[in-house]
Amino acid sequence: MKITIGHMFKIKRGNVTLQYPVERWPRPERHIGFSADSYNVIRSRLTVDVDDCIGCLKCQRACPVSCIKIETTKVEKGEDISEANHRGVTSNGTQKRLLVTRFDIDMTECCYCNLCTYPCPEECIFMVGGPNSSRREIDYEFSEYDRNDMIYRFSKVPFDILQKYASAVEKSEVEEAT
Amino acid sequence: MGVVIEQELGTVHGDEMILNIGPQHPSTHGVLRLKVHTDGEIITQITPYIGYLHRCFEKHCENLTYEQSIPYTDRCDYIGSMNNNFGYAVAVEQLMETKVPEKVEYMRVIVAEMNRIASHLLALGTFGLDVGAFTPFLYCFRDRERILDLFEMLCGARLLYNYIWIGGVSHDFPVGWVEKTYEFLDYFEPKINEYNDLLTYNKIFIERSADVGVIPADVAISYGVTGPNLRGSGVRWDLRKDDPYGIYDRFEFDIPIGTGAMGSVGDCWDRYYVRVRELEECVKIIRQALDVLPRDGDVHAALPKKIRPKAGHVYSRTESPRGDLGYYIASDGSDIPSRIKMRSPAFTALSCLNEISRGWMISDVIAILGSLDIVLGEIDR
Amino acid sequence: MVDYFLETFSEITWLASSPNLSFVLAVTLAGLPIFLFMALNALIAVYAERKISAFMQDRLGPMGQGVGLHAGKWGILQTVADAVKLITKEDIIPATADRKLFIIAPFILFTASFTAFAAFPFNEYLMAADFNIGLFYILAMGSVGVIGIILAGYSSNNKWSLYGAMRSAAQIVSYEIPAGLSLLSVIMLSGSLAFRDIVAAQTGTTLAILPNWFILDNPFTFIAFWIFFVAGVAEVNRTPFDLPEAESELVAGWMTEYSGMRWSFFFLTEYANMFIVAGVASLLFLGGWLSPIPGYLEGNLWGIFWLISKVSFLIFVMMWFRWTFPRLRTDQLMRLCWKFFLPASFVTIIGVGIWDLFVR
Repeated sequence: MKITIGHMFKIKRGNVTLQYPVERWPRPERHIGFSADSYNVIRSRLTVDVDDCIGCLKCQRACPVSCIKIETTKVEKGEDISEANHRGVTSNGTQKRLLVTRFDIDMTECCYCNLCTYPCPEECIFMVGGPNSSRREIDYEFSEYDRNDMIYRFSKVPFDILQKYASAVEKSEVEEAT
Repeated sequence: MGVVIEQELGTVHGDEMILNIGPQHPSTHGVLRLKVHTDGEIITQITPYIGYLHRCFEKHCENLTYEQSIPYTDRCDYIGSMNNNFGYAVAVEQLMETKVPEKVEYMRVIVAEMNRIASHLLALGTFGLDVGAFTPFLYCFRDRERILDLFEMLCGARLLYNYIWIGGVSHDFPVGWVEKTYEFLDYFEPKINEYNDLLTYNKIFIERSADVGVIPADVAISYGVTGPNLRGSGVRWDLRKDDPYGIYDRFEFDIPIGTGAMGSVGDCWDRYYVRVRELEECVKIIRQALDVLPRDGDVHAALPKKIRPKAGHVYSRTESPRGDLGYYIASDGSDIPSRIKMRSPAFTALSCLNEISRGWMISDVIAILGSLDIVLGEIDR
Repeated sequence: MVDYFLETFSEITWLASSPNLSFVLAVTLAGLPIFLFMALNALIAVYAERKISAFMQDRLGPMGQGVGLHAGKWGILQTVADAVKLITKEDIIPATADRKLFIIAPFILFTASFTAFAAFPFNEYLMAADFNIGLFYILAMGSVGVIGIILAGYSSNNKWSLYGAMRSAAQIVSYEIPAGLSLLSVIMLSGSLAFRDIVAAQTGTTLAILPNWFILDNPFTFIAFWIFFVAGVAEVNRTPFDLPEAESELVAGWMTEYSGMRWSFFFLTEYANMFIVAGVASLLFLGGWLSPIPGYLEGNLWGIFWLISKVSFLIFVMMWFRWTFPRLRTDQLMRLCWKFFLPASFVTIIGVGIWDLFVR
């Protein structure tokens, strides 16, 4: 019984509660989380810098729950879709050849295993915060009221151009079949 | 006259009552349904019904590559995820006949033992909660939080790690992790004394758990019970010593077994005490491993480019906090396994519940279930 | 208080002419502060329990940062929020339950506790009704509560509740015996059942500085105090004797099917019972409304203060027990009562008698 009464009087020192909305994590002095530079890797919200994506589909293949859905297509030589920024090089210097028309991540299915971030050659898919704090700040409060809001759509291609490429893809598929 | 009364009373027996300790219950460790036949308050038969948490783990793995199955193995025994990953990695490495670097072996042992501490802490805390002691539960969780914070620093996740990969581990220890682990071990060792004072040698707790739910050694072996449950019945069997995998043969540690100190051998108190003693042994192992951990070395050196084992099958087993965790993997030469089966230790522990709880009362059933330390994620997969 | 009201009413002529009306009015006016006190006690006790349990478990309990945000500063508004929630909850009566008994059960329990408060003195002069067998009355009314528990468990038509009610009834009824017997030693020493006389017998000092409380009077009353206190904890169904409401086993035992306002009655009654048990213990053994430093800080208001602080301390000890010990199984509980407490209380009676005979 001495133990419990001892704990009661030492509450200021021994308290382990983080009063959430006011005190957020990390609080290293209370052994709750560590500062960003101590982390090897972090598991938080997935995000994609789609300007760097070359459409290699490695992350889609690596995902164990198939929550990443990517569709790419080739763009003709003359065309330039400025919003998608599909010409030029990525930040690592790789030449971009494909237009990423669809890059959806369904966060309700994601199991936060981080397996998609390892194979990416351009490091454009990553989880925010921690060691990636220089690119995006940490975010672990991304709940939404509507389930459809949890499907993150990263592709920047405008809708009308999508229609054109979708129909072009279907046309060529039909031609191949016949 | 006396004979007549005896005969009359001999034919009187109470009606059997069927009670349902349902899937939603504050103290079944997961979703477990127990159909309990009682005569008054004395149990005559218990039938466990499982399957409420079945997620088709083994079927999923037939469509995923070997490294994609690792997050799935995490989620089977979600309290001791590192050990699950470890068992799976050992099995696949046996199939592929690869060896992992020394540094990786030491790292695996360290994280597996830390996870064992975390799992045992949870077992002790929930057992205390089941018998009514509310406070040790929170103390155990407070210490478990420290371990989970360390894991968070290491691999970003607190409970489902996806850390031990086939052929290596996913990340090296970050700068400062080893020092923080030493700090944690120094903080944690005196706490074991606190748990002992508060719960283990508490008279009321001893009355609740001593002599209750005795598993005799031969019954335990015939049901296939392993791990701390088996050691609580006095059988000295630990896979880390008797069938060592990895580098466990390099460490010096004891195997605590139940000796019936407070009652009979194999009662709830013995199983509980074996877990408390194992906490100390884990701390010993971690210290020894941290002392000789090679500081430099590439942890990704042995990660295969493509995991494509030859056709064949393997069954390998490791010691998880609940017992003897086995993986049977059948491969047909492609990079997708044709069958993975997991042998879960909690499943066999639950199977002997009927045998050992006959003749006890309902409060004892809760105590026995708590001392068996089952995790439904592992049982149902 | 009832006497006081009756006296004042006798001076109001139109009221004095109908003695029935004046009696009913007097009783109602005396009962209202008692009810308010019970509610206030439950409010404060719930908050204290949460905070104490939290501090003992290295956590903070209900907290808030200022009025309006969460639960007020230090979480004071938590109990108010609880009360509002309980009042606005949906009232569910299971379809297969026995309606009349289901509805009556909380009222019986509450009434037993409420009427026991009628004899409880806060001061030499402040009590609802001045009994000269106050102690006997309180013990008797405490026993009536068992009916409420059995009815609650039986009418819920739920095997779990039935188990809990049966266990609780057996527990309360058996623990009343050591509780009552251990009080006999005090009655022997003071020679009266009225609280006023019992506390008056504890004035003055022993050994020049220690107050002359019965707990320090002789070693047998010391044992009697602990027997009474532990038996009282068992009567209130608190851990380590809380098997009837064991959360991890029977969900909530005999209270399972109750929700909202009905449950809050049970809750109120539990804390009121705790107050009564602690109150009787402090009146009989710890000197009641006398100050611990004999001769100083005495007076009417000081008396109320001392009594409330002693009772609060004992309630704190009850809560301390709850968060430290695991719970006893039913048969162990019964064995403790019949094989251990009962003989011990007999020993205290005999011991106090002999001590009084030879030492005095």
